[in-house]
Amino acid sequence: MSLIAVNGLSKAFDGKQVVKDLTFQLEPGKCVALLGPNGAGKTTTLRLLAGFTRPTEGNITFDEQSLSTDIRNYVGYLPQFPVFHNWMTGMEFLIYVGQLSYLSKSEATERASQLMDRVGIGDAKKQRIGKYSGGMRQRLGIAQALMNKPKLIMLDEPVSALDPIGRREVLNLMNELKKDATILFSTHILNDAEEVSDELLLLHRGELVEQGSLDQLNNLHQTGKIELTFSDNPDSLKEDLEKLSTVEHVDVHNRSVNIITSDEDATRKELLQYVTAKDLPLTKYEVAKTTLEDLFMKVVSK
Amino acid sequence: MGLEDINWALIAPLIIVEMILLAVALIDLIRIEETNGPKWVWAVICIFISLIGPVLYFIFGRRQ
Amino acid sequence: MQWSVIFKKEMVEYVRNVKWIWVPIVFLIFGIMDLITTYYLPKIIESVGGMPEGAQVNIPTPAPEQAFFMSIGEYGTMGILIIALVSMGLIAGELKSGVYELVLSKPVKYSNYVTAKWAALSTLILTSLFIGLLAGWYYANILYGDVSFGTFIGTFLIYSIYILFFITISVFVNTWFKRPGMVLFVSLLFIILVNIITSIFGHYLTWSPGHLSSYLNGYIHTGNVTGDLWGTLATTLFLIVILLFSAVTVLKNKEM
Repeated sequence: MSLIAVNGLSKAFDGKQVVKDLTFQLEPGKCVALLGPNGAGKTTTLRLLAGFTRPTEGNITFDEQSLSTDIRNYVGYLPQFPVFHNWMTGMEFLIYVGQLSYLSKSEATERASQLMDRVGIGDAKKQRIGKYSGGMRQRLGIAQALMNKPKLIMLDEPVSALDPIGRREVLNLMNELKKDATILFSTHILNDAEEVSDELLLLHRGELVEQGSLDQLNNLHQTGKIELTFSDNPDSLKEDLEKLSTVEHVDVHNRSVNIITSDEDATRKELLQYVTAKDLPLTKYEVAKTTLEDLFMKVVSK
Repeated sequence: MGLEDINWALIAPLIIVEMILLAVALIDLIRIEETNGPKWVWAVICIFISLIGPVLYFIFGRRQ
Repeated sequence: MQWSVIFKKEMVEYVRNVKWIWVPIVFLIFGIMDLITTYYLPKIIESVGGMPEGAQVNIPTPAPEQAFFMSIGEYGTMGILIIALVSMGLIAGELKSGVYELVLSKPVKYSNYVTAKWAALSTLILTSLFIGLLAGWYYANILYGDVSFGTFIGTFLIYSIYILFFITISVFVNTWFKRPGMVLFVSLLFIILVNIITSIFGHYLTWSPGHLSSYLNGYIHTGNVTGDLWGTLATTLFLIVILLFSAVTVLKNKEM
């Protein structure tokens, strides 16, 4: 059973389609990355789910219930650039939003204190948010999204503004959070998506171009890639190689040759026979896989 | 009429209250981290324009 | 519960940004400034001199009721301006800065959000008005003669409704625009229009909120709450409720 089902979701601003006909489900306990270049419609998708803006078409169903119940009861949301009441201390702000989520004052205080420690800003509990650094704000932003023990945590570019250490820490935190909740986060960096997510939603120009688990996507788009390097540049190599039955495409750069193949095993046999027969000076034979990066680039450059 | 004709008991509260307003504005100006525009300009405005100066500072000078 | 959380947060904010100090002080000064200057004006003109020989400085001393009403005159202009300035960012400021993304992504009822903020602002302004009018009443008694305490209380209660009306206009306009400057401009325009329409069609619109201060003037002098005054109060209260309700609806359906 899915936690959230999105069906035919579209959004237009002033006639311009920002999000087109999105359909996907989020399974409970999964960490899903909404991946796409800038301007792909990631933020709009998250804001639609958070209820800040209404879809022009389509609908969102939460936990088999329609949206007549307030979705915000189950959702924690971190915008890309969280803004706080700077005159409050970190604790005060968390207690405030906790109480807005119907926690009692004592529950909210206890949870706020735990969360501040958990996101690593326990030392700044009594400090005014106006004095927080960018990284501290991002952490406080994550803490506030967790105050109401959400079933779904939505994070808009949670790590892109952080330095490498902060990024590492937040990714670790997200790995931990997966145990208790479903996470949907947006990013334009494939590495971040690969690192923590179970599933990918690849968004481009408002459309969902690919979706699936990392493994599925890898298998689906995998073609064999063999890289050969020679100590000397053999003549007529390209022509010869292209004649081999299982080879689809050959690229020659100086002494190295890239071969794309549909059947890696068969190609290896053919290739090695050819190399032995011709007695070519082979120095390197490497099997590479096309990565999600290739897929991402292929989609984005379309 | 000279100054002695003015009933200071009546005017003193007005002056005291204006001084409090000025003092609050200046103390706030010192304690606040950032203002819209340079702090010293706001200090000058508060001191030299009575009543209006501090009010302008509270409304436009404090960065919320 | 949620309502009081928002209300308390607003109150703490008013303490931290010193609104709880400066707004009452400014209203206090507005309440007594005219009374003092009018009292001393003839003497000041005399002492400055420059009047031709034998010229009489003839400024009649106002009656106590008239003097007390001068405070109201001040609130009707400068007071309204200050209220508009203080309230222009009440909701619009949170929409503009982006704090709303964190606050309204929590299960906050829009009616709680709007009315708690409205109530907090009203508490601040009406307390300031009470202090200012009290001081005005006190100075009227000392400088000009007796105005009864009952008249002061009645005046405060009646004028509070007008002030609440304007606060509610500003809250309503706050839900329309994200720019506080725009809120300031439109809410002032709104109240000016109410007054212009009242002065043109006043004969027909005898219960328009625009009549409130002139009816109040009558009340201060006679002590009678006329039928028209009751009608105006009822209309104004009704409009306050409608405006608040509309503000909630607008915000709820707003694309943010």
